[in-house]
Amino acid sequence: MDVNYQIPRLALLWVLAALLLVILPGMLRLPPLILLLVLGCMGWRLLIFSGRASYPGKLVKALIVFTALPLTVLQFRSQGVGLDAAVCLLILGVVFKLLEMQYKRDIVIVIVLAYVLTMIGFIYSQTIPSGLHALLAVAVITGALVSLNRDNARNNFRDNSRLAAQLVLQSIPLTLALFILVPRIAPLWTMPLPVPSNKTGVTDEMTPGDISSLGRSAELAFRVSFDGEAPSHDRLYWRGLVLDFFDGRTWRRGGSALLDYGMIRRYPSEYRGVRQGEPVDYDVIMEPTQQTWVYGMQLAEVTTGEIVQDRNYSLHTATPITQRLRYQLRSWSAFQTDLELPRALRSRALQMPDEDNNTRSALLARELRAASTDDRDYVARVLSHYREQPFFYTLNPPLLGEASIDEFLFQTREGFCEHYAGSFVYLMRAVGIPARVVVGYHGGEYNPFEDYTMVYQYNAHAWAEVCFEGEGWVRFDPTGAVAPERISQGVEAVFANQPGFMEDSGFSMMRFRDTQWLNTLRLRLDAIDYAWNRWVVSYDQDLQLEFLEDVFGDKARSSLLWALGLSTALIFSIAAFFLLRGGQRQLRDPVTRSYLALAADLAAMGLPRRRGEGPLDYCVRVSAERPELAAAMQTVTRLYVQLCYGEQGVGSEELRQEFRMTLQTLRLRVLSRARRAGLVAVSAFSRLQ
Amino acid sequence: MSLVNAVSFWFSTRVQRWLARNVPAVSIATLHRRNIFILPTSHGLLYVAATTLIFITAINYVLSLAFGLAFLMVSLFILCILHTFRNLQHLTVKGIGGDAVFAGEDASFTVLLQRQPERMHEALELKFPKGLITRADLIEGEQLRVNVYLPTRRRGVLKAPRLLVQTRFPLGLWRAWSMLDLSMRCLVYPTPVSCPLPTAVSNSGVGKGSSTQPGSDDFHGLRNYQLGDSLKQVAWKNLARGQGLKVKQFVDSSDDRFMLDWAMFAGLDAEARLSRLCYWVLKLARSDVDYGLNIPGVVISPGRGDVHRHRLLSALALWQQSQYVERLNPRPSKTGDAV
Repeated sequence: MDVNYQIPRLALLWVLAALLLVILPGMLRLPPLILLLVLGCMGWRLLIFSGRASYPGKLVKALIVFTALPLTVLQFRSQGVGLDAAVCLLILGVVFKLLEMQYKRDIVIVIVLAYVLTMIGFIYSQTIPSGLHALLAVAVITGALVSLNRDNARNNFRDNSRLAAQLVLQSIPLTLALFILVPRIAPLWTMPLPVPSNKTGVTDEMTPGDISSLGRSAELAFRVSFDGEAPSHDRLYWRGLVLDFFDGRTWRRGGSALLDYGMIRRYPSEYRGVRQGEPVDYDVIMEPTQQTWVYGMQLAEVTTGEIVQDRNYSLHTATPITQRLRYQLRSWSAFQTDLELPRALRSRALQMPDEDNNTRSALLARELRAASTDDRDYVARVLSHYREQPFFYTLNPPLLGEASIDEFLFQTREGFCEHYAGSFVYLMRAVGIPARVVVGYHGGEYNPFEDYTMVYQYNAHAWAEVCFEGEGWVRFDPTGAVAPERISQGVEAVFANQPGFMEDSGFSMMRFRDTQWLNTLRLRLDAIDYAWNRWVVSYDQDLQLEFLEDVFGDKARSSLLWALGLSTALIFSIAAFFLLRGGQRQLRDPVTRSYLALAADLAAMGLPRRRGEGPLDYCVRVSAERPELAAAMQTVTRLYVQLCYGEQGVGSEELRQEFRMTLQTLRLRVLSRARRAGLVAVSAFSRLQ
Repeated sequence: MSLVNAVSFWFSTRVQRWLARNVPAVSIATLHRRNIFILPTSHGLLYVAATTLIFITAINYVLSLAFGLAFLMVSLFILCILHTFRNLQHLTVKGIGGDAVFAGEDASFTVLLQRQPERMHEALELKFPKGLITRADLIEGEQLRVNVYLPTRRRGVLKAPRLLVQTRFPLGLWRAWSMLDLSMRCLVYPTPVSCPLPTAVSNSGVGKGSSTQPGSDDFHGLRNYQLGDSLKQVAWKNLARGQGLKVKQFVDSSDDRFMLDWAMFAGLDAEARLSRLCYWVLKLARSDVDYGLNIPGVVISPGRGDVHRHRLLSALALWQQSQYVERLNPRPSKTGDAV
């Protein structure tokens, strides 16, 4: 097969454009030196194309490869052999191939690798823009293939792009059917994940100032859609981690890993909590955090497989969340947990710093406890202490020193939720009431366009849980005592005009939430993004079954393959019908058509043309059988042969005219003879027209 | 190896028989569902490998959009079947025939490609087995004449093998092809081999007078230098090669009738004689002389002109190939076998 001939010139430009388009989104991830090399190679290829440079010799090629490889290894040494390094090597391989690409085979390899590079973009981002970018990239790569395979006047930009776009658009129905119906299977083996970027969101440590700094960010944390009506704003406590170890300044996760990470399922049922009332089901799509925990409302039951619940009822994933994650939960708003607190947990919930400088706070706690009748009364007194003393709720609290609790409670009295939650738990523990800090998010913004709630980083919140004998853990939010509108209306209502709020988000659309139409636009855009994530990016086995159950009812699982086969066949047949239709009826040229009509007339007269009999032989036979037709038949045959096979006859109009005339007369004679013989069908007459 | 040969022979006969039954010999063929075959190319397989790679990555990284990309590529691949098929479908191929050639040259068969008004056929490749590829695009005109070449080795009537019409358009992932027997034939003359004309027997021709009188028109051969010969006629090149002093002999045969005879090249085998006779037919045809041919079984009286030359050459080509003698027409397929 002669497939190794030279590349059409235009095809090369298409391939370069496709490659550039494919590499574009990943360019920023490449180290600058490598990027320079990549662009250099592409530029060199362009110079070769325009005839201003020659192909690199063996020595130069070896030199490039042997400098680029160590360079890559050096650049990525700190990160280990990760995906980034592999991608970088792949890109380098493709651009090196460009330099030695002379034959069709080489260019096809480059084109095929361009498809693979398009896919690699999805490992990093699966947003709508990256989806559209990939679609465009596929169209351009297809255009490159088209350009490679046509070498005529139509190999120009317009015709190539039109055909490529046509091909891609025609493929979309089948793509959709396959996307919806091809069974999704679980990963075959674990893959190295991209090197995590910065961790975002609530962390597993809480030092005063940590959460208020999140208030500066208007980035999305997660989106929730409820089955049925959403709970009221003051109940939207998105519980993350439990922080029960205090070192005098920072709250951390304490206790043994075994206790924390042991799945709640393994514990006896009395620890799992008593659920009451109606549960609420909801569906969460979380933005990547690079952390291993997720958020839900207490008390949650996990309905998706990849999430486990630990002894503190926090929810965890097995691996850091590097992609958007979708999970479903069921929560009971009325519940009781840990009616009998195990000793280990109790001691952790009473832990105090080894070197405690907060003497005034401890004294205050003891005074308040002495004045209270019981633990619940004490909690109420502490909350009213916050309410009655001049405490301020602010996003920009003053810095605190060593004895952070004392300084906050008696000097600065300005704080964000972590100050209130931390000091509250301290006051509980100081008098022997088990208590702990919980971090997570509170509230969210409702989006009416797709019926879901958006939770942003500035919704980050910290609150407290107190364990009462016989009641279990009860949530208290000391922030609510200071700023009740924070709980009822949300942080946006409180801080809208405070400096620093959403400050890190730069020129964000969030800043224009007061302008009606811009705000509507923002909500609409987010709704589209949400729908995309919920129905496309998170489309998996469960969603597939859910969708099929809507269509097929109970037999969804068994009808999946049927539906797949049938819809593929149907789409293919429709495409085939539209692409391949058009008959062979008018295919034969008029000359042949009229000659065949004559043969049909003769057949009606009893002289059918035999299979494989040429016009000349037929003419001889007809002339012999019907001498009276011989002369006309010979003229017709001569003209016919000349018109069909002759050198100059093919296009000659006079010959055609003559042929038509003779044939017409001959047929009339044949027909009249046949009619006399009573052999002709009526239709034969009409065929003459 | 003999087993392999036997199997491949068995297979190829089967294929030929199948083709003969399903794609019978015709002089004009329209490509359609029953005579177009389609299979992926090596590039197509590479594409499938890339698609598989993307699919596996999509599974392992749980990338919904990568699934989408893989499915888009699968759809493109499947759709490409239709487009490649469409590029051949409804194309009409008419075998017009081939001009006579000399053995060893490439025989050129003319094929007429016709299209339907609404269809275009791009990047078509036509070739005979072992022949060169002829590329054609049927985009603008309703029809296009193309020549497809086939190397020849032996004189006689060359029956064109099945013509391969194929295309990889638009993406090169599939190859659609058809093997058409257009019953084209062409006449292959013997290979001309130059040689001096042995004067000894050249006089055995019929007609008046001897064929060669020394003259100045046509180069005839070399003879040893004799005193008195013109220096202009000395073959200096031969002298330089150390072959002695020779004189170029020219014949002046303006009003002569010349008979080429089988016996002129005695001592050579039949094919070699035919080749030499062929050379001299061509040579004499260019000169201003009547010439005839006398080979066993065929005697053609002297004459001149293109038709005459063709008669002689045909006689040489078809000598002792009796089954073809009645087909002296240079373009046998012109008569057309069937429509």
